[in-house]
Amino acid sequence: MHLLNLTLGQFLVLFGSVSALMLALYLLDRSRRRQIVSTLRFWISAEQPTVVARRRRIQQPLSLLLQLASMALLLLAIAQLRLGMPASAPRDHVLILDTSAWMSARAAPPNGRAPARTLMDLARERARAYVRAVPPRDRIMLVRADALTTPATAFEPDRQRLAEAIAASEPGATALNLEQALSFARQIQAHSGRRAGEVVFVGTGKLADHDPGKLGLHNLRFLSVPDAVENCGLRRIGVRRSVADSGVWEIYVSVRNYGTASRTATLALSFGPSTDGPGKSPVGSQRLVLPPGADREASFAFRTRAAGFLQAQLFPRDAFTADDRAVLQLPPQTELRVTVYSLQPDLLRPVLAASPQVAATFRPPSEYSAQTGGSLVILDRFHPPAPPLGDSIWIDPPAAGSPVPVRARVTDVPFVHWLTDHPLGAGLRTKDFRLESASVFEAAPDDLKIGEVESGPVIVARPGKPKLVVLGFHPALSTMRYELSTPLLFANLLRWMAPDVFRRWELNTGSVGTVKAPLDADVRSASLRVVSDDGSPVPFTVRGRALEFFSGTPGTVRVLAEDREYVYSLTLPQLWESKWDVPAETRRGIPKFPAPLREATDLWQWLALAGGAGLLAEWLLFGRLRRGRVRVSKRPLAMRKAS
Amino acid sequence: MEPAPILDREFLEKLERLTLRWQKSFAGLVGGHNQSRFAGAGQEFLDHRNFHHGDDLRAVNWRAYLRLEKLFLKMFQVEPRVPVRMLVDISDSMKGAAGEKFYYARRLAGALCYVGMVRLDSIEIHGFSNRLGRRFLCTGGRHRFGPVLDCLGSMEPGGQTDFFAVLREFISSYSQRGLTIVISDFLDDQGCQRPLQYLADFGHELMLLQIWSEADRTPPWDGELELEDAETGGQMKVQFDDSARVRYTKAFDEYADSIERLALRAGGRYVGVSTAQTVEEVLFGPLVRSRGVA
Repeated sequence: MHLLNLTLGQFLVLFGSVSALMLALYLLDRSRRRQIVSTLRFWISAEQPTVVARRRRIQQPLSLLLQLASMALLLLAIAQLRLGMPASAPRDHVLILDTSAWMSARAAPPNGRAPARTLMDLARERARAYVRAVPPRDRIMLVRADALTTPATAFEPDRQRLAEAIAASEPGATALNLEQALSFARQIQAHSGRRAGEVVFVGTGKLADHDPGKLGLHNLRFLSVPDAVENCGLRRIGVRRSVADSGVWEIYVSVRNYGTASRTATLALSFGPSTDGPGKSPVGSQRLVLPPGADREASFAFRTRAAGFLQAQLFPRDAFTADDRAVLQLPPQTELRVTVYSLQPDLLRPVLAASPQVAATFRPPSEYSAQTGGSLVILDRFHPPAPPLGDSIWIDPPAAGSPVPVRARVTDVPFVHWLTDHPLGAGLRTKDFRLESASVFEAAPDDLKIGEVESGPVIVARPGKPKLVVLGFHPALSTMRYELSTPLLFANLLRWMAPDVFRRWELNTGSVGTVKAPLDADVRSASLRVVSDDGSPVPFTVRGRALEFFSGTPGTVRVLAEDREYVYSLTLPQLWESKWDVPAETRRGIPKFPAPLREATDLWQWLALAGGAGLLAEWLLFGRLRRGRVRVSKRPLAMRKAS
Repeated sequence: MEPAPILDREFLEKLERLTLRWQKSFAGLVGGHNQSRFAGAGQEFLDHRNFHHGDDLRAVNWRAYLRLEKLFLKMFQVEPRVPVRMLVDISDSMKGAAGEKFYYARRLAGALCYVGMVRLDSIEIHGFSNRLGRRFLCTGGRHRFGPVLDCLGSMEPGGQTDFFAVLREFISSYSQRGLTIVISDFLDDQGCQRPLQYLADFGHELMLLQIWSEADRTPPWDGELELEDAETGGQMKVQFDDSARVRYTKAFDEYADSIERLALRAGGRYVGVSTAQTVEEVLFGPLVRSRGVA
């Protein structure tokens, strides 16, 4: 005889709680009844007042006993009391199959001549052996575990389906999260409604993170897959434009030796228009000596403005090839073409030459053409016969030809305000700055007033297509030429006109899984966007100055922040960080289950019926029926006399 | 939605053959339907007496004078209009059993009023608890019964019973004797026998209708009880079982007997009414048998 749904301890705790509750209710309900009566006159003569100590006395012990017995029967029905040995009941096992990236490593052949097999092949073999050993009446759920726990089957009695699910299991790209898998197994067994069997883990025990411990699992079995594999692999590649020279890519590569022996490896970088096609050119190579368990970093510099694929490779190849090669797509280095129509080109040449991403062409106004050809046009005190078709900056245009109406012409006025909360005015600051002569514009409601004097705006920006900025004075011909704000103003104008050109790039190659990316101090959380290859948003969190997101599959994730773009090419597999410290009481190896005994008999239906009948009997004998019954003689004495 | 009337028309029609009866003779006005031992301007011959100076010559029996040559005066039974007063208990104790007794008392009072009004009696209704309530005069026949129902329906229970104060106020208010119907549970901690005896001694004829609910006479509860007096708020804890219930009922019946003895000794009537009985059963049963109505 055994309980299927509850342990004996759980049953006793439940029954004790229910009994205590019933006793309390019983004492509350049956011991003292509060009644409002018309008079106390007859009560005094009927009965002496009771003492308080009698309150706790049980008035109807048989009623209480009947209730307790009925509740015990109902609880036994809920716990599914069964006749027969517990071992005879079928059990539900959970088979956790390690499908982490590491399982694609090739194990050394036992005799040195047979073809090498992957760790996944060995794990499948162990899993099949376990399935064969389990009694036929038991059910097994196959769970694939890498960074995510994914049930491959339900609790399945069909061994053929299990075999197919095992065969279809392939190594993923992430490392093993064993804690999550074991928690899942524990929960799914608790909810299965049948007797819990074993939780079997088949794998190497190489974990992504910390040791999960035992998690309260006393039915844990470990089918170990030997993984004496020497591996040395790429961990991370970082690429960004050099601060000193925007034409140069700075490349950082991190390599780790996961093995137990020291290794010497050659790290080679190449760049080409495709990953495997012709036209690749070497970028550089370094020879690295890697002690066991150590990381080494190598840095390279590579000058190119062209787009292409940067490939990093480790030689010689080892048993785990997935992390021996990584490819990163580099974007082209674009430049902003600016055409300046001016009779005094030297005034603007210094501010435009300051940025290497700007290619300025200076022409006299007589060569003006409205066709901009995609370049930015700067009109220096020049009224064109037709406005330019593209983006343009107008510097002190004549009042008759200004794209923004000129309200007035002022002289010797103090400059009062910069629009510093807009990117166009970011960082601009002047003190005691006066304009000798300037045009004050009549700005439209949607126009941005970048700079203002008392009587109105003198620098106006008009968003839209094409973008337009009008300056009511020439910065290089006013006292502003001595201010730091002049180059900053032009830098802001050019960045606003062509944000894609000035976007800063940072490219990283790493492993799939959880990615933590540090953010620059000036990046606002509200401006962050994380998108995948296909443009769909990727969930992320910001903790402090670090951004975190998770990618379970290889691919590219872009993080857009302000004027920066971080590209994460998550093509490297996520490898283990630690090894599972298997608890001592964990069972190992393929088990030999005892042969099933005779069939167990369910009793819960009869127990439930008996419990219900007991409660009904208690209610009939001691409950409301009896207490509500009025004992009155047919004809009261007083009425008999009256009649 | 208007509340249902406490008495319906069909029931009232059954009451029209009944008459309020009293046993004593009261000096009163002509026009009643109860005989009196007092002589007066009635229709029924009572007796002869010698003529005295000042007597009405119209009452002289001239036939007897011619035969006996003496003046005899014919006396007739007076049929007085005896005042009927009704005291309805509206104390807190009547609220017991979800207001069952209070409702019942008002129904019974309404029914007796109707019986009286059919015979053109004048009935004065008072609610009472610790003092006499507002007087409501019912007169003018059955067609004036509507206001009586309104009056009874507007009564609200409350207060602690004080028979002594109520009956003292009653006696001081009404010097003319008459039939006094008291509808109450007679549950007054200070006792109601002495005030009622005082009322009877003052010349009023008593008709005591004691109303109780089944829980008042036979409490249905078992075990330990924490009791609270509905009027005084006094509390007591008792252990109650079948034997205690027997003792309780016995005490209750003894108390009812004492009230009954008081009523009979004073020449009045007593009827004990359980709310388990219908008002119709009480009117045509115990009340008829006790000659309270005929």
